[in-house]
Amino acid sequence: MQRGMVVAATVMAFVVVLAAFYGLDHFVMSIQGLPLNMDLSPAQ
Amino acid sequence: MMYRNDFASGRSCWKPSLVAMLLTLLLGFSLSAMVQAAQDTGGESVAQRIAPVGQVWVEGEPAPETEPVAEVATEEAPVYVAPRPTRKDYPDIGVSSRAVVWILAQMHLFFGALVLAVPLFVLIIELVGQSTGDERYDDMAHEFMKISLTGFSITAIFGGTLALALFVLYPDFMGYMMRVFGAQWIVYAGLFFLESFFLYTYYYGWNAMRYGNLKWLHLTLGLLLNGAGMTIMVMANSWATFMMAPSGVNEVGAIVGNIWEVMKGPLWNPVNLHRFIANIAFGGAVVGAYAAFKFLSTRDPAKRAHYDWMGYTSNFIALLAFLPLPFAGYWLMAEIYAYSQQMGITAMGGILAWLFIVQAVLIGTILLAANYYLWAGMSRTEGSSRYQWLIKYIALILVVCFLIWVTPHTLLLSATEIAALGGSHHHYLGPLGIMPAKNIAVNLMLIVTFLSFQLYRRSDKVATVSWAPAGNALLVAIYVVAIVNVIFLGVYFGYFTNTVYKVGSSVAQVASTLVVIIAGIVIDSLMFRGARTLPSHWGRIPDRAQYALFALPIAFTWLMGLMGYVRSSVKTHWHVYTVMQDNSPDNFIPTIGYAGNMITIVTVLFLLFVLFMFWIANLGSSRQPVPVRAAAMEGVA
Repeated sequence: MQRGMVVAATVMAFVVVLAAFYGLDHFVMSIQGLPLNMDLSPAQ
Repeated sequence: MMYRNDFASGRSCWKPSLVAMLLTLLLGFSLSAMVQAAQDTGGESVAQRIAPVGQVWVEGEPAPETEPVAEVATEEAPVYVAPRPTRKDYPDIGVSSRAVVWILAQMHLFFGALVLAVPLFVLIIELVGQSTGDERYDDMAHEFMKISLTGFSITAIFGGTLALALFVLYPDFMGYMMRVFGAQWIVYAGLFFLESFFLYTYYYGWNAMRYGNLKWLHLTLGLLLNGAGMTIMVMANSWATFMMAPSGVNEVGAIVGNIWEVMKGPLWNPVNLHRFIANIAFGGAVVGAYAAFKFLSTRDPAKRAHYDWMGYTSNFIALLAFLPLPFAGYWLMAEIYAYSQQMGITAMGGILAWLFIVQAVLIGTILLAANYYLWAGMSRTEGSSRYQWLIKYIALILVVCFLIWVTPHTLLLSATEIAALGGSHHHYLGPLGIMPAKNIAVNLMLIVTFLSFQLYRRSDKVATVSWAPAGNALLVAIYVVAIVNVIFLGVYFGYFTNTVYKVGSSVAQVASTLVVIIAGIVIDSLMFRGARTLPSHWGRIPDRAQYALFALPIAFTWLMGLMGYVRSSVKTHWHVYTVMQDNSPDNFIPTIGYAGNMITIVTVLFLLFVLFMFWIANLGSSRQPVPVRAAAMEGVA
C-alpha cells in the first residue's frame, strides 16, 4: 500500500472510530436515563 | 471387537441419551427441593416476598404506616422468627471464635475456588486439544487436573471442619440458617457425591477415554463435573448473600418465601458472577506457579519448553479472566449501594475504605507481574523486536496509573501535618483520591495490559492479508480514541457535573475498555488468518520471568482474603443483616492491623498447603531407583 493510502486509511479510521465512540457515549448514558446534548454536556 | 469399532466410529446413539440422563439426574436432584418449597407461597406476590426487609424513615417526615409485625403470625401455627441469642449463648473456647471460623472459612474458600476453577479451564483446554488434534493440549490439561486433585480432599477437610466449628461456636445462628435453607442442605451434600463421582471418573478415565467417541464421553464427564461444581458454588453463595441482604424472610426473620426466594437475594447474582470470574483467574495463577516451579527445577530443554508453555497458558488464563473482573466487582458494589447505602458507605467510605487502597496495591502488583511476564515472554521469538519499543510507554502508563490508584482520599494526619499541608486534603494530589481518577487509572491499566497481551500474540506472526495496514490503522485509532474517551469521561463528568452523571459515565468508561478488548480480538483473529508464522522457542525465557508467575498467586490469594473480609464485614454487628443480631464477643469490625494480620496468616497458610499440593503432585510421578545391592543380586541370578 502506498504511503498516501496509509495516511488516508489512518485518517478515515480515526474519523470512523471517533464517530463510533461519540455514539457509544450517547447510547450508554441514555440507556441509564442520563441523556447528553450534542456537545456531550448533561441534557438534564 | 466389532462393538468397539462401532463405538469408536461414532455410529452408536448412546451418547445423547447418556448425557441427557445425567443432566436430568443432576438438575432433578438440585431442583426437587425448590419445587416442593415453591408450592407454599403464603398468599403474597414474589415481589413482596423477596423485597428487602426494613423501612426507611426520613427525619422530619411523618413515619410510614406499617402493619403490626404480630399480624404475620397466625394463631394456629406460631411463626419461627430469627433467634435473639445473648452473650452467654455463644460458647467460650478460650480463643476468638471469629478468628477460628475466619481461618477455616477462608482456607475452605481458597481451595474451593481452586478446585472449582481448574476443571473449568481444563475442560476448555481438552476441547481445544480435541478440535486441533494436538495431544500436547490433552497432556497439559491432564497435568493441570493432577495438580488440583489433592486440593479436592483439602477443600472437603476444611469444609467439614468449618461446618463443625460453626455448629459448635454459633449454634443459634446455624440453627436459624438450617431452618431457612431447609432441604437445600441435603441437596448440597448430595452434590458432593455427584462431584466426587465425576471428578474421579474424569481424572482416572483420562487415558482410557482418549480417542474417538470415548473422548466425547470424557468431555461430557468434565462438563458434568463442572455442572456439579458450579451448582455447589452458587448454593454456597446464596448463604453468604442471604446473610448480607436477606430475602424471603420478613423483618423479624420469619420465613415468608420459598427456598428460591430465599436464595435469590439482590446480591446473589453479582456475587455469583464475581466469584466465577475470580476463581478462574485465581486457579490460573496457582497452576502457573506450579509450571514456574517445574521450569526452574529442571535443566532438561524439552521439559523446560513444556513447562514454559504451561506457564504461558496459565498466565493467559489468569489474565483473560482478570480483565473483566473489576467490572464484575463494580456491579457487585453498585448492587450493595442499591440495596443499602449504609452498607455501601461502610465498605467504601468508612473504616473498610482503607482496605480498598491495599486492594489497589495488590491489583497493581498483579498487573505489573502479568505484564512483565508477557514482555519477558516476547524474547521467545525474533518477531517481537517490531513491538518492543512500545513496552516502555506501557510501563510508564501502568506505573502512573498505579500511583493514582493507591493515592488515598483522606489521610490520617496529626494537627501539625494538617497545618503544613494547608488542609486535610493535598492541594494537587487530593483530586486523585476520589473515584473518577481511580476509574480512569484502572481502565487505562486494563487497556494497556490488553495491549501487552496483543503485542505478545502478534510477535510470532506476520499478517499476509492485503488490508493489514488499514486494519492496523483502525486498531491504533481504537486504542487512541478509547484512551482519550476514558480520560474525557472521567475528568469532565467526574469533576465538572453532578454525581449522577459521574456514576453513569463510569459505565461508558467500562464500555470503552470492552470495545478495545473485543475489537482487538476480532480484528487480530481476522487479520492473522493464514498469517506467516515466525519460529517460536519455548523455554527461551529468562528465569526471572518465572518469579512473576510466583507473584501472581501470592497477590491473588492476599486479594481474595482481603476483599472476602470486606464483603463479610459490611454486615457489621449482624449475623443476618437487620434480621439476626450478632451478640458474640466479636460483634465489631476489628482494627485494620488485626484484619491485616489475620489475612496474612491465612494467605501464608494457604501457600504452605499449595506447596504441599505441588509436592504430592510431584511425588506421584517419582519412582525410587532400584537399590544397588538388589540390582547386583538380580544380575548374579
